[in-house]
Amino acid sequence: MRVLGIETSCDETAVAVVEDGRTILSNLISSQVDLHRRFGGVVPEVAARAHVEVLNPLMEQALAEAGASFGGLDGVAATVGPGLVGALQVGLAAGKAASLATGAPFIGVNHLEGHIFANFLEHGPPEPPYVCLVVSGGHTMLIHMPEEHRYEILGQTVDDAAGEAFDKVARLLGLGFPGGPAVDELARKGNPDAVRFPRAMASSGDLDFSMSGLKTAVLRHVRGEQAAGRAINPADLAASFQEAIVDVQVSKTIRAARDRGVERVLLGGGVVANTRLRERMRDEVGAAGLRVLFPSLELCTDNAAMIACAGTSRLLLGERTPLDVGADPNLRLAS
Amino acid sequence: MIVLGVETATPQSSVALGSERGLIASVLLAGVAHQEAVVPALQHLLEWSEAELSQVGGVAVGIGPGLFTGLRVGVETAKTLAQVLRVPIVGLNSLDVLAYSVRYTQKLVGAVIDGRRGEVFYATYRTAPGGVMRMSDYAVGTAGRLVGELQAKGNEVLLVGNGALLYRRELEELGSKVEFASATLAHPLASSLVELAIPRFIREEADRLFDVVPLYLRKSDAEIAWDQRARGA
Ligand SMILES: [Zn+2]
Repeated sequence: MRVLGIETSCDETAVAVVEDGRTILSNLISSQVDLHRRFGGVVPEVAARAHVEVLNPLMEQALAEAGASFGGLDGVAATVGPGLVGALQVGLAAGKAASLATGAPFIGVNHLEGHIFANFLEHGPPEPPYVCLVVSGGHTMLIHMPEEHRYEILGQTVDDAAGEAFDKVARLLGLGFPGGPAVDELARKGNPDAVRFPRAMASSGDLDFSMSGLKTAVLRHVRGEQAAGRAINPADLAASFQEAIVDVQVSKTIRAARDRGVERVLLGGGVVANTRLRERMRDEVGAAGLRVLFPSLELCTDNAAMIACAGTSRLLLGERTPLDVGADPNLRLAS
Repeated sequence: MIVLGVETATPQSSVALGSERGLIASVLLAGVAHQEAVVPALQHLLEWSEAELSQVGGVAVGIGPGLFTGLRVGVETAKTLAQVLRVPIVGLNSLDVLAYSVRYTQKLVGAVIDGRRGEVFYATYRTAPGGVMRMSDYAVGTAGRLVGELQAKGNEVLLVGNGALLYRRELEELGSKVEFASATLAHPLASSLVELAIPRFIREEADRLFDVVPLYLRKSDAEIAWDQRARGA
């Protein structure tokens, strides 16, 4: 089964062709990061405009690279939400039109489910149940999956997503946009124990996250050092900040798995590309007697192969999305 | 040759199928989001008219100006249909399409589409053999600015479009020289779009598929703020 995946929920225009939900025939991403850099963040209207310019040539290229054609598709999958509403509209319109014109069935995909299914592209679907941590620029969420396509939200951020915290600290350090990769790289040269930042809600009984306390603590630290006339070591600051975030993610993920009595942990989302998070998850989740899976770096960040993969899984169950579906910026994972 | 038309510059979505011999079928739908309306409406048109997609020889789309999200849905839908069906595409200005529906007048025609934020998108036209001829640039501005421009021209004018009706009171300052086309004609019609596009397909004057984009006439807020900062610095 050959499925075309389309993803335009934020600032990446992405198209992929995936065979049987496992084999990536092509997986193309056109990043808009250069368009948004001067604004210091993603501008929704700029993102939506760029998708309209880029998506069609990218579809052509993705099919060519896959050695596929529109006529040979068995399904079309496009992200329906969550995400930036104007950006979502573009990929969704293209997906529906491609379905109408090819006659291949259409399936609308939840972007978060896509991040989870990114794991299945490389590892195949392991037997449920699992606990999933989805961390990205827009989401920080712990999810229990008792079976495929069934989701129970265990906890999520009460304020910013982890990726937003990375962006804000990067801005504070003058590292520019996007912040995640910049902080990651700088932190490698720093001492994670240099500054002890608060582990927000680490000891709270629930599985929610909060980033605002940490963000304020970083800002207060920088101001305090400046007032005292001391130079800041940006690498130490980046490493210490990152350590505080990673600490909470690791401990809450392990606790969630223990609470639910599951043995498998899946990670997904752009922040899972963070070196320190991967390292510590591998070590500590493993040491806790759990098995952890995460996608390769290219499949952590937004891509369309994960959308095609999740879509294929639903199409194989006989699901179809009616062509009058609208974009849903706040789409939830159905339980 | 069947031409399929998609027009989504205003809150009314319209789609149509037509050929050299005239209109085959059309759907108008107001009050339903473009994303929800356009593809199902096309699906129904094809079913009801028993037209096959393989008979479609061209896709026409209104590129605006108008509602940004609506335009993106319409343009992206049209581009993808043309791409998959491997047929040529023609993008036409939605103000031109709007003016075309009131072409049988000797008056100056002002096509006016609501641009939100207290502004309208507009252009002026004269009737011409086979359609209308544009007499001004495509512009964005307040109704007051449009009144000023029309006053300077001094002609009798027929205003058409949802923007003209929305700002009717301001535009009536033009006095006895102004007339308003009815609400039924207030949105660019996919049927007019198809009629206008057919000669282009026959003359093989299609657009380059990947170059078809909405005509926004207005930058994003972030870009406007950036430009202002850059100018101030
Ligand atoms: Zn994402």
